[in-house]
Amino acid sequence: MKRRDFNRAAVAAGTAIAAGGWQPGRAAAAEPVTLSFLHKWPEPNNIRFFREAVDAFQKAHPGVTINMEAVADNPYKAKIRVIMASGQIPDIYFTWVGEYTRQFIRAGRVLDITHYMAAPEWQGRFLPATLDAYKTDGKIYGVPVEVDAKFMVYNKKLFAKVGATEPPKDWPAFTALLDKLKGAGVVPIAYGSQLAWATVHYIGDLIAKLVPPETRVADYTLKTPANKLFTDPGYVDALGHYQAFLTHGWFNASPNALTHAAARASFYAGREAMMYQELVEFGGVPGTKLGADGWGFFPMPAIPHGRGRQDLLTGAPDGFVVAPTCKHPDVAMAFLNFLTSQPQGALFTTDTGRPSATIGAVTSANASAATLRGIEDIKHAKGMVLWLDTDVESRVASAFLAGGQALMGTGGTPAGVMAKVRAAALQVQKEQG
Amino acid sequence: MRRRAIIARLAPYLALVPVLLFLAVFLYIPVVLDFAYSAHAWNSLSPTWRFVGFGNFRELLHDPLFWQSLRGNVLYAVVSLIVQVALALVLAAVLESGVVGIRLSAFFRVSYFIPSIMPITVIGLLWQILYQPDVGLIDQALHAVGLAALAHAWLGEEATALPAIVAVSQWQWFGYITVLFIVAIRAIPRELYEAAAIDGARAWRSFWHVTVPGVTETTVLMALITIFGAVKVFDIVWVMTGGGPNNASQVLGSYMYRSAFRDDRVGYAAAIAVVMFMICSVVGAAQLYWSRRRAP
Repeated sequence: MKRRDFNRAAVAAGTAIAAGGWQPGRAAAAEPVTLSFLHKWPEPNNIRFFREAVDAFQKAHPGVTINMEAVADNPYKAKIRVIMASGQIPDIYFTWVGEYTRQFIRAGRVLDITHYMAAPEWQGRFLPATLDAYKTDGKIYGVPVEVDAKFMVYNKKLFAKVGATEPPKDWPAFTALLDKLKGAGVVPIAYGSQLAWATVHYIGDLIAKLVPPETRVADYTLKTPANKLFTDPGYVDALGHYQAFLTHGWFNASPNALTHAAARASFYAGREAMMYQELVEFGGVPGTKLGADGWGFFPMPAIPHGRGRQDLLTGAPDGFVVAPTCKHPDVAMAFLNFLTSQPQGALFTTDTGRPSATIGAVTSANASAATLRGIEDIKHAKGMVLWLDTDVESRVASAFLAGGQALMGTGGTPAGVMAKVRAAALQVQKEQG
Repeated sequence: MRRRAIIARLAPYLALVPVLLFLAVFLYIPVVLDFAYSAHAWNSLSPTWRFVGFGNFRELLHDPLFWQSLRGNVLYAVVSLIVQVALALVLAAVLESGVVGIRLSAFFRVSYFIPSIMPITVIGLLWQILYQPDVGLIDQALHAVGLAALAHAWLGEEATALPAIVAVSQWQWFGYITVLFIVAIRAIPRELYEAAAIDGARAWRSFWHVTVPGVTETTVLMALITIFGAVKVFDIVWVMTGGGPNNASQVLGSYMYRSAFRDDRVGYAAAIAVVMFMICSVVGAAQLYWSRRRAP
């Protein structure tokens, strides 16, 4: 029996158990149940996993029909807005954590699932940091499916060229290494910011390291008084640190002209020494010129004397929420219970190459040693810094996104970017009263 | 008999009903609704709409990004008028003048026309590769001919991003409009050219005094289509830069999309759509007025 087939057999056996508190017989006898399910993984490998998961659940629960629809990441952002405006909210749907989900919660478009999650079968299922991301005011609003975090991936061969045998421990050691690489004629970091989301991964992490956490959280949620909103000097400092990557020649030239994918292809071809990548990208590295052992990774180093948190990882879980308009929330939760069960989680990682958020689902049988170590790092992190563009209000995010590109060109200054961020935040705060 | 006559009278109207319904549902009603949306502050999650009257338009007046986007459309329109209308007309006249042989002329016509039938996403991705700094064909060609100083990170620099996109649009549509001009030129009576030749008119005079007046209607129509295209341009910008870097290639269409779906300000986005509609309406009305004045 092949590994994948074995996984499927395990899933079939576990389906009934994973149904959790909802018993299929009860609902099936009463009336047929139809659920709508919207997510953002239409790619062939990903959609196959979800299609088979839906089929398996329907087979185990006669009378239940799940109508699934998948739209790619970028169009999903437009589609979900249109759907929300129409009021035809899918019973189960994907959202990004942070402010993105909070806005739906405030508008009453997300079901509080705290009492469902108190059931025994949910206990200890997820890494704490991933479940915390779905909590607002102590209540749970979502179920994580996958976990992701950013790490600096490095080329061991190019590190060896400058005598570096291990990752830098802190910021001064990191910048010294960058200078050393540059001096040796190696481009230290591959970076493509043509798609602006890449910029806020750096910026969000640096802000977390340089701005006091209570200030950051109050600013992000627009609870800081107007006269102090986004005025902490740590913000300008963080943007200065980010711009320094370009001005010191630590990034490749013209990052604004390259997409993240193009920069990654160059890094995989062995041209640059490092690249800031997501854990979900690790699956593709062994098949490149770097091979299985030619690379390593480390979290963005701590900045000594930084007034923020140095022990957080930038990243976020991805997962699902249930609509309050769902007529069968018990069935919806049973489906999510099944989807995030350990056998399904293992299958998710096997099929999609993405790390499941379910503890014990990512093993040496379906993931590389690097992915496993990344999961361990997330487990031991004191928390996560969510993606900046989904953790702040969308207009504030737009100001950061544009500013991140401005600083990679010739026309932007950290203070100028923060002035625009503050202006956007003030306007939103005023409108929200 | 009477019944048959009534049916015969109603038949044309009944035939028009499906089309009218289609237009009403997908064009006229949305246009009317857009005006209503633009007078409100609301987003996809708003439980209620807040009436702001002309508030969104007042905000537009003070929004530097709106003006920057509008400037992008103006640049798009001006360059398109020069390249897609004026130069396309000249090229069409050259291809029809017999300077190049019939076969070569056909080859050029097809070559110029092909980009217009390619999907916009394919074109966007293709040119993204061509515009790559250093490794892209454009920069490599500049290096090869000793013009390395002119090499740029075309889509990555704020100064060159929008002009680079505008250039791609010219490449895509130039041939299409050239073919339309060729059709118009062929409709000009040959006797006029022969008479001009007998009078001693050379190629340039013949072009200026016979071809240009002969294709006036087509020229006006092409200018109108080009301006409309420049006002509502969105796809090529979105595919190639998403309006970046730092909003440098933003046009009204991309800014409207961002306002609606990224910033979640549907009322504000509707106001931008109204401005685009008004620009197109004014240009269209001017053309109509001008055509009627010229009509015998």
